[in-house]
Amino acid sequence: MAGQRTILHADMDAFYASVEQRDRPELRGRPVVVGGAPEARGVVAAASYEARAFGVRSALPMSRALRLCPEAVRVSPRFDRYGEVSRQVMAVFRSMTPLIEPLSLDEAFLDITMQTTAHGGAEAAARRLKAEVRRVTALNVSIGGGANKTVAKIASDAGKPDGLLIVAAGAERAFLAPLPIRALSGIGPKAEALLTAAGIRTIGELAEADAGQLERMFGSRGVQLREMARGIDQRPVEPVQERKSISAETTFAHDVVDGSDLRQELRRLADEAARRLRERRMRARTIVLKLRYSNFRTITRRATRAQPTDERDVIAGEAERLLDVVVEPGDRFRLIGVTCGHLSGLEASGQLSLWAPGDARATPAGDAKL
Amino acid sequence: MNVTCLQENLARGLGIVGRAVAVRSTLPITSNVLIATDHGRIKLAATNLDIALSCWIGGQIEEEGAITVPARLLADFVNSLPTEKIQLSLSPRSRQVKLVCARNEATIGGLDADDFPPIPAVDDGGTLEIDPKMLREAISQVVFSAATDDSRPVLTGIDLVVEGDQLTFAAADGFRLAVRHLQLQKKAAERQEVIVPAKALAELSRLLQDQEDPVRMTFNANKTQVLFALKDVELVAQLIQGTFPDYSRLIPKEWGSRAVVEVRDFLQETKIASIFARDGSGIVRITFQGGDDGTPGRMTIAARAEEIGDNSGELDAQVEGEPAKIAFNGRYLQDVLAVLDGGRVALETTGPSQPGVIRPLDNDTYVHVVMPMFVQW
Repeated sequence: MAGQRTILHADMDAFYASVEQRDRPELRGRPVVVGGAPEARGVVAAASYEARAFGVRSALPMSRALRLCPEAVRVSPRFDRYGEVSRQVMAVFRSMTPLIEPLSLDEAFLDITMQTTAHGGAEAAARRLKAEVRRVTALNVSIGGGANKTVAKIASDAGKPDGLLIVAAGAERAFLAPLPIRALSGIGPKAEALLTAAGIRTIGELAEADAGQLERMFGSRGVQLREMARGIDQRPVEPVQERKSISAETTFAHDVVDGSDLRQELRRLADEAARRLRERRMRARTIVLKLRYSNFRTITRRATRAQPTDERDVIAGEAERLLDVVVEPGDRFRLIGVTCGHLSGLEASGQLSLWAPGDARATPAGDAKL
Repeated sequence: MNVTCLQENLARGLGIVGRAVAVRSTLPITSNVLIATDHGRIKLAATNLDIALSCWIGGQIEEEGAITVPARLLADFVNSLPTEKIQLSLSPRSRQVKLVCARNEATIGGLDADDFPPIPAVDDGGTLEIDPKMLREAISQVVFSAATDDSRPVLTGIDLVVEGDQLTFAAADGFRLAVRHLQLQKKAAERQEVIVPAKALAELSRLLQDQEDPVRMTFNANKTQVLFALKDVELVAQLIQGTFPDYSRLIPKEWGSRAVVEVRDFLQETKIASIFARDGSGIVRITFQGGDDGTPGRMTIAARAEEIGDNSGELDAQVEGEPAKIAFNGRYLQDVLAVLDGGRVALETTGPSQPGVIRPLDNDTYVHVVMPMFVQW
């Protein structure tokens, strides 16, 4: 990679709990834990900052969390809702750069190397992102930035909540040195124990550690860890665009029975799915029909083809055959959907590639998946 | 600020810079257009942060000044006005632009020009002069081969190499590669390589349509930006950072079969076959073989749509080497044949799963490599 990169790590503050507090004003200012019921041996998926003050952390058993903080309000997770908000957040990120790598619903790496100058520096760009996330979702995001992923991630963590910390070029090593080794991604409890036993407690000490010793402890990864501790990390931000399936569905205003309206809607959905497959230059081998009855019972039926397809008539034909098999006289439906799964790229249709797979020499720098 | 200009000049200028106005952006001011007095002329500018377009139009300047206003609103308004003089004025310390034209009068709220993203000065990394027609042709012959998805940023760009008196354009999306050489009037002092976003060059190509004067292309010293200076118009683009793959070894040096055909006929038959290939995988099958005893050879181009029908077309071909069969995505073939300006073209291959090479005859400034599709023959 030529030149200095600018990488941001954006991480929503107490995401699930914040979404709940936003949607339900009566929860604001109160300790909120999101997770399954203690009777059902639920665990904490997220805790608001008010609950964290009591020592409640993610992954704690819910029973334990409620003992630590008896006045906490437990809320069952609504992942559909979090997914929806997550899409809004990612759209904000994408409006700044196409190079975003989501790590989960609530965090992502952004490569803003190309945009930094125009925004008047990394800090101004990050400030703008925070403001835009706040405007669109009314939620806080913490942003860390620097020359690489390691530094950006640790910086976003260091500033939480509602943080903004950009590590200046050249200051990476000094920034990392005093931090405990656990702050480094890739160092879990096991590695921490090993390193502590060897007298290495801070990232600075890891940066100075003997290469041979690290290699004996961690193999080839040892030297990589030491590089990261020194603030060196060449890993690119890799936008993942892989989709596992493409679906289209319709909820009817009134329940419908099998007949020309239902069949027509099914063909329209097949057409939409086929069009989206072609847009993404993908083909599907599996066609799934989804039906929700008037009593909310939902079923799916699937058909798998020998050859992947992106053709409307093929998809519609499979979906109709599936419908023929399950439909009974008198059935009433409130939802119908078509999902195309088992996706493959255009290559799978027989299009050969200029570069042989794994041909490293021809692969653009910092990009392993041509 | 107080300036007067002709409606048609302002409308034309807004149309030019309007291509760079941001559609959705985290920076609201980028959906505005900058209007500023500049050395006795009126400067218009817009940027979506990937590219910036500036345009200068003539006008009468009563008072200097600068402001930014919503681009869409201004353009829609100006386009609807009669072809008469427009007066734009901005009272001091105000952000309200007043426009007066014939019997229309409008006020548009703007944002401070100081907050507009600075358009970098690009001047210290060497300049080339290029003939606008040649440049436009070169762009058109490679730009369609650039990748359109962002997952591999360098491939969304066009690789530009300046070496000696040659400027080479190359684009590849993983399935095809287009390379075009262009002769420069003057030798360049040193070899330079940059990757220019294909989108920026597509915009440039549009601007080149009515250019007569040579285009000046300038890089900045650390190769992060490129400037294309046209008459009264400037385009600045962010260069893509990274290393373009070494494509020279992707161009086969030898062939086992070669067919020479008329570009026009080849394109026409490919289009016909593509109608039938449309509902399938876009597969167009090509076979060619030499004729017996001095008769011309022939090429057939065929496609079939499962359960719908099929088609086979034939054209005369001058064939050398072994009879060959090879299948391509019809879209890819049409793309390259459409940018070759008539004449004859050679299709070379060494086997049904080896690259197909397309070269215009009697012209070694262009070569196109397209990977075939694997099919059961």
